[in-house]
Amino acid sequence: MTHLAVEGLSKRFGQFVALQSMDLTVSDGQFLGLFGPNGAGKSTLIRLLATLATPTEGAIRLDGDPLDEASETIRGRLGVVTHDTMLYDDLTARENLRLHARLHGVDADRCGSLLDRVGLTHRASERPNAFSHGMRKRLSFARALLHDPDVLLLDEPYAGLDQRAAATLSSVLTEFSDRLVVMATHDFDRGFGHCDRAVVLDRGRVQLDERADEYADHDAFERAYREAVGLEAEP
Amino acid sequence: MSARTYLRAMWTVVRKDLLVEVRSKRVLSTSLVFALLVVVAFAFGFAKSVSDLTVLGRGALWIAFVFAGTISVTQAVTAENRDSAIDGLLLAPVDRTAIYFGKVASNTIFVASVSLLTLVAITVFLNYRPPVTMLAALTGTILVASLGFSAVGVVLALLAAQSNLRASLVPILLVPLVIPVLLAGVELTRLLSTGGDLTAWLRLLVAYTGILLLAGMVVFEAVVAD
Repeated sequence: MTHLAVEGLSKRFGQFVALQSMDLTVSDGQFLGLFGPNGAGKSTLIRLLATLATPTEGAIRLDGDPLDEASETIRGRLGVVTHDTMLYDDLTARENLRLHARLHGVDADRCGSLLDRVGLTHRASERPNAFSHGMRKRLSFARALLHDPDVLLLDEPYAGLDQRAAATLSSVLTEFSDRLVVMATHDFDRGFGHCDRAVVLDRGRVQLDERADEYADHDAFERAYREAVGLEAEP
Repeated sequence: MSARTYLRAMWTVVRKDLLVEVRSKRVLSTSLVFALLVVVAFAFGFAKSVSDLTVLGRGALWIAFVFAGTISVTQAVTAENRDSAIDGLLLAPVDRTAIYFGKVASNTIFVASVSLLTLVAITVFLNYRPPVTMLAALTGTILVASLGFSAVGVVLALLAAQSNLRASLVPILLVPLVIPVLLAGVELTRLLSTGGDLTAWLRLLVAYTGILLLAGMVVFEAVVAD
């Protein structure tokens, strides 16, 4: 049973407080949707959970192990997709995946099946700089899934995706329904559609934390969101 | 984490950097052009007025080394920051110092290669003729100096990439920190030509390079994890 716990987490950049005394627990089988306006702290939280940033205060534990003490083992259990694709433009799509496969100690054969899964087999020998944004994002997904992670951390995964790429991503996420997924997004339709728990962040604090089925539909959730972040209700 | 896994991660980073460089030629082409410009400027500016071309050759070699090295580490880190590619490396389940040593190793190869090519250019343009017997020792000096330069250069270039000053910050921070490496390099090159006791300068070069590697290893994670 995978269990992610955030305890008293704060992150400051100089005087700017990105996250403030956050507490959160998520277990596997749970899809946590992180919502909030720009600058709410969503991306910072994803980077902290991914060990790409260090907290100013507080701790993050995966199955009781602090991230800062067991980070090597924990990183092997995380699949991370952020705004940036983390790809090298001078390597082909296949070479990019093989690089990460070697670093994760994964058999190179898995690269082929993942390229197929994200619909890029026919472009495997091309470099990502010849790809559209959606194709780069799909390749980034393949990179994140190479080592079959227990925990998926996604930051705006649907941003800039066309219908086909979005459908591919949605089907991949459905396959991960038994794992722990944390997804930061502005996309209410897709975000609320996937998640079974919705957390709204604003100014570095949790403003709302509810089960998704508490809301009749995504409009009801959007109203609650607007209220939580202090936005005027739409006429 | 086993030593084998650690070394495999290091080698994976080196191999990736070499492959990226073979494809892009970004680091070697720019740094080599700058190094050769230094040699040509020395050849036309000083060669006729300086009687001892060995002195001129040594000077050109180490000035070119600094130029080429600075460009090399800056370019190498620029490639890592494009689309946050370095984050992908940092997400690997390996000790992050393996990533650091991999980056240092590949940059050492780049800086040393440019310096050795510069040495060839110096023999052509400045008629600098180091004795054949000292070539192995000179190559060794260049390799250790390149290692020390890269050890601190990689960390500073990553640090500068996160600031607004970016590339312009690298030489400001880097040059003062590598002065002992340069002094030892220049003096060892002189002693290899003229003869004399190398021990003190060799000790300085090796010990300072060791300190830079150790310091880089300690601060690397703090620099990359913002």
